[in-house]
Amino acid sequence: MGFREHAAAVRRIFGIVLAVLLIGGVIVAVVAGRDKDKGTATTTVRGVIGSEKAEFFADPDVVKALADKGVTVKTETSGSWAMENLPLKGYDFAFPSSESPAAELARKAGVNGTPLRPFYSPLVVVAHRNAAGVLADNGLATLTGKNTGTLKMAAYLKAAKEDRTWQQLKGSQKYSELNGVVSVTSTDPAQSNSGALYLAAASYVANGGRIVANDADVARTTPLLKKLISVQGAQQSSSDAPFRDFISGAANPLVLVYESQVASLLMQKQDVGDMVVLYPDVTVNSDHTLVPLTPEGRKLGELLSGDKKLRELAVRHGFRPQGAASEFIAATAPHTAYLNQRLTGVRQAPVPKAEVLRDLARRARS
Amino acid sequence: MPRRALMALGLAAVLPMSACTSEDEDNKGGKGGGRRAPGTLRILASSELSDMKPVLDAAREATGVTVEATWSGTLDAVEQVASGKADGAYEAIWLSSNDYLRLRPETAKKITSETPVMTSPVALGVRADVVRRLGWHPDQVTWARIHQAVADGKLTYGMTDPVRSNSGFSALISIASGLSGAQSALRDADVRKVTPKLKEFFAGQKLTSGSSGWLAQAYTRRGDVDALINYESVLLSLNRDHHTDLTVIRPQDGVVTADYPLTALASAPQDARDSVRALTEYLRSTEAQRTLTERTFRRPVVTSVRPAAPLSAAKRRELPFPGTRSVADGLLAAYENELRRPSRTVYVLDTSGSMEGDRLDRLKAALTQLAGADGAATGERFRDREEVTLMPFGSEVKAVRTHTVPEDDPGKALAAIRADAKALTADGETAIFSSLRAAYRHLAERASALGDDRFTSIVLMTDGENTAGDSADDFESFYRRLPGAQRTTPVFPILFGDSDRGELENIASLTGGRLFDATKGSLDQAFEEIRGYQ
Repeated sequence: MGFREHAAAVRRIFGIVLAVLLIGGVIVAVVAGRDKDKGTATTTVRGVIGSEKAEFFADPDVVKALADKGVTVKTETSGSWAMENLPLKGYDFAFPSSESPAAELARKAGVNGTPLRPFYSPLVVVAHRNAAGVLADNGLATLTGKNTGTLKMAAYLKAAKEDRTWQQLKGSQKYSELNGVVSVTSTDPAQSNSGALYLAAASYVANGGRIVANDADVARTTPLLKKLISVQGAQQSSSDAPFRDFISGAANPLVLVYESQVASLLMQKQDVGDMVVLYPDVTVNSDHTLVPLTPEGRKLGELLSGDKKLRELAVRHGFRPQGAASEFIAATAPHTAYLNQRLTGVRQAPVPKAEVLRDLARRARS
Repeated sequence: MPRRALMALGLAAVLPMSACTSEDEDNKGGKGGGRRAPGTLRILASSELSDMKPVLDAAREATGVTVEATWSGTLDAVEQVASGKADGAYEAIWLSSNDYLRLRPETAKKITSETPVMTSPVALGVRADVVRRLGWHPDQVTWARIHQAVADGKLTYGMTDPVRSNSGFSALISIASGLSGAQSALRDADVRKVTPKLKEFFAGQKLTSGSSGWLAQAYTRRGDVDALINYESVLLSLNRDHHTDLTVIRPQDGVVTADYPLTALASAPQDARDSVRALTEYLRSTEAQRTLTERTFRRPVVTSVRPAAPLSAAKRRELPFPGTRSVADGLLAAYENELRRPSRTVYVLDTSGSMEGDRLDRLKAALTQLAGADGAATGERFRDREEVTLMPFGSEVKAVRTHTVPEDDPGKALAAIRADAKALTADGETAIFSSLRAAYRHLAERASALGDDRFTSIVLMTDGENTAGDSADDFESFYRRLPGAQRTTPVFPILFGDSDRGELENIASLTGGRLFDATKGSLDQAFEEIRGYQ
C-alpha cells in the first residue's frame, strides 16, 4: 500500500506544480513579449555622480528618454574628489563635476579616448535679499536686478583677509541674522568639486590674476585660502547639502552653489523666495565630465552629449549644454530676473593642475 | 558606548510580500551580522527620528522599502562607522547631522550618497509664565541674555548630555559660540576664553538626560524647571502632545541646526544602495516633505513645501560647527570634567547569595570599566569632581564607600573604586527597599554636610526580587514623606538576572527614573548608558 499511494500523491502534486509553472511561464512570456514590443532590451548602466546631478537622473522624463534608447541608469552620489576613494568595480561610469577629478579617475581606471563633457554650469553664490543688499551697499557686490548681480571677488577677498564682519558693514544692523565674519560657505575642497573650484577662483584673484602654477604661487595664496576655509568650520562633502540647508533657512547668509541648482528650481516654477543669485566676477565653470569605465558607460555619455531630447532635459535641470548657448538661453528666458544668461561681466579663471589644486586644498584645510 | 535596544519601525505592520519567506523570520529585529530581507534597510538612526513612523510607513507603500531602525546616540553611531562595526550590520545611517562624522577623516571612505532630508535648529523652550516674568520678547533674545538670566538665578533648564546626544552637543556649541563672541568657527582659544561664563551657564542646568525623550518626561514631571534646550521640532511636539505651553526661542545671535542626512554605507550591497536612493527620492517628494513638516514640525528642504504653521520664518544665523576634532572633543571634555554641575551618585548593588559566580564577576567588570584608567575617552569613566558611593547590600546594607574623583589627580580615587569593586563578595538575602531607603538617607546627609549643588541619582542593580527588610509599600510611603528637594533624586534600576521587571518599573516610575534592561544587552552597556542620566 503506502508506497504506491504515496507515488500517486507525488504524481498529483507534480502535476499541479507543473501546471503552475506552465501558467507562470506563459505570464513571463507575455510580459517579455510586451517588453520586446517597446523596442530593444534595456541595459542597466551604473555610475557614481556628483550629488547636483541626482535629480536629473531621477527625473521620470530623463528615465524615459534613456529607456527609449535602451538604457536604465542607476546612480549613487559622492563628492567629485572623493570618488577615487570608492571601489569603482561594478560601475559603468563616474560623472564628477569637473575635468580635474575626471582626468584622475580616467588615469586610475586606465581609460583612453576623449572625455565626454555633455554640459557645464558656472559657480554662483546665493544670498537672501538682506545680505545681498548689504554687500551691494558696501561695494562688495553690484545688483543688476532684483534677484541677480555680481560678487566682486577682489573686494570680497580683501574683506575676508581683514576678517571683516557683517556688523562692520553699514546697513547690517537691521538684520539680526547678519553677524559674524563675512564668508561664503563652500563644500570641503578636498572632497568636493565646488569647494575645490572656489579655491581655484580665489587663488587666481589672490595671485594677481594669474593661475597658481608653482611653489611660490602656492605659498603666496595659501594664507588667504586657509582663512576662507577655516572660518567655515565643518564643511559638507557634496554640493547638494549646503544648498538644501540654504533653502530650509539653516545656513550662512552666502552659499556657493552651481547655477544649475538654482536654474533647475526656477524652471520647475518653484518659488525661490527672496533668493539673490550673485555671479562672482571671476568664477570657474564646472564642466560635468563623464568618465566611461565600460562601453555601456561610454554609450550613456554619447547619448547625454548628442541626443536632442536629453540635452533639452539637461537644460530643464539648469545645465548649459556644451557647444550651443541658444538652448539654455531660450529655455531660461522667463527667469532673467535671477539668471545672467550670457554671463555678462563674468570672467573665467583657469583651473590649476590637479596636483596643484589638491595641494591648495590640503594646505587650506590644515 | 551605550546602545539602546533596537526597535523595528513598522515591523508590526504588514511586511512586503518579498519579506514573508520563512528564512527571513530570524532576521526580524536582528541587529548586526543577521541576514537582511530583500527590500529592507537596516538603518542606524538618531532616536528622535522615531516620530517619522507615519512618513516611513507611507514610504514603504510608495517604494516597497521597509526601514528597520536601530536607535543610537550620534557619537556612538560615528564610533560604529569609524571602527567598521557598522559594516555588514547596517546599510545606511540617518543621524541628526554628519558634522561630527566628518571630523573623523577615516569615515570618508565608508559613506556615500549623503542627502539632507529636513532640518531643525536647537532652540530654547521657555514656560510662558517665565517669559513674562523675565520680560523677554522671544524674537530678541540672545545667548548673552539667556546666560545673564541663568547667572542671576532667574532661569533653570534641562538639556541632554552632549557626550551622548547631538541636541546637547549642538546646544553646547551654540552657547560657546554665542558667549565667546566668536565671529567664525570656534577655536580652542575661544573655548578657553569663555570657560568662566560657560560654568555660570551650566550651573542653571537642573536636568540632564541621555535621550531627548526622557528629558521631556522628566521636565513634565518636575514642573519646577523653567526651560528645556532641545530641537525646535521636539519642543513644538511637546507643546502639541503634552500642552507644555513652551515659548520656542531661537536665539538671535545664532543656532546650530540638524539636517538629518540619509546616508548609504559604502559597504552595503548594490540592491540596498538602490533602496537607499529610492527612499531618499521619496523623502524629498512634496508629499513626504509636507507630511514631515506637519507631523513632526521639522523644516522642509524643498521650496515647494512651506514650513508647518508653528515654525517661525524669522531668519537666524547658522553658527558653524567646529572644523577640527580637537576643538569638538576639547569642548566635550571641558563640559564633562569642568563646566557642568558635578554629580553625586549612589550605586545600590545587590551582592546577595544568588550573585555568586558569573553574575558577581560581570558586576565587578562593569564597575571596573567605569572606574577605568585616567586616559579613558570622554564619557567612558567617572568624571572629574564626581562623588561615587558604592553601597553593596544583601540582607542589609553591607558597606558605604564614598569616593570623590579630584580634578588634579583622578587616578588614585579611580584605583580605590576599582579596589572596592574587586573586594565585593556575594552572600545573604535581597533587601532592595531598605537599601534604597539607606541610599536616600545617605544623599541627604552628604548634601547637608557639604552644602553643595550636584546632580544626584541612585542606580539600583539587583538580580532578584525583594526578600528581606522593607516592603514596596513601606518604601513608597517613605519616599512620599521625603522633602521636595530629595524627591527629585531618581532611581535608575537595572533589570538583570532574575529581577522582577514589575517591581523595578514601579521604583522607576515612583521616583521619576528610568528602567535599563541588561538581560538583552550587557551589564556594562547598561551602566555606561545610565551615565548620560547622572
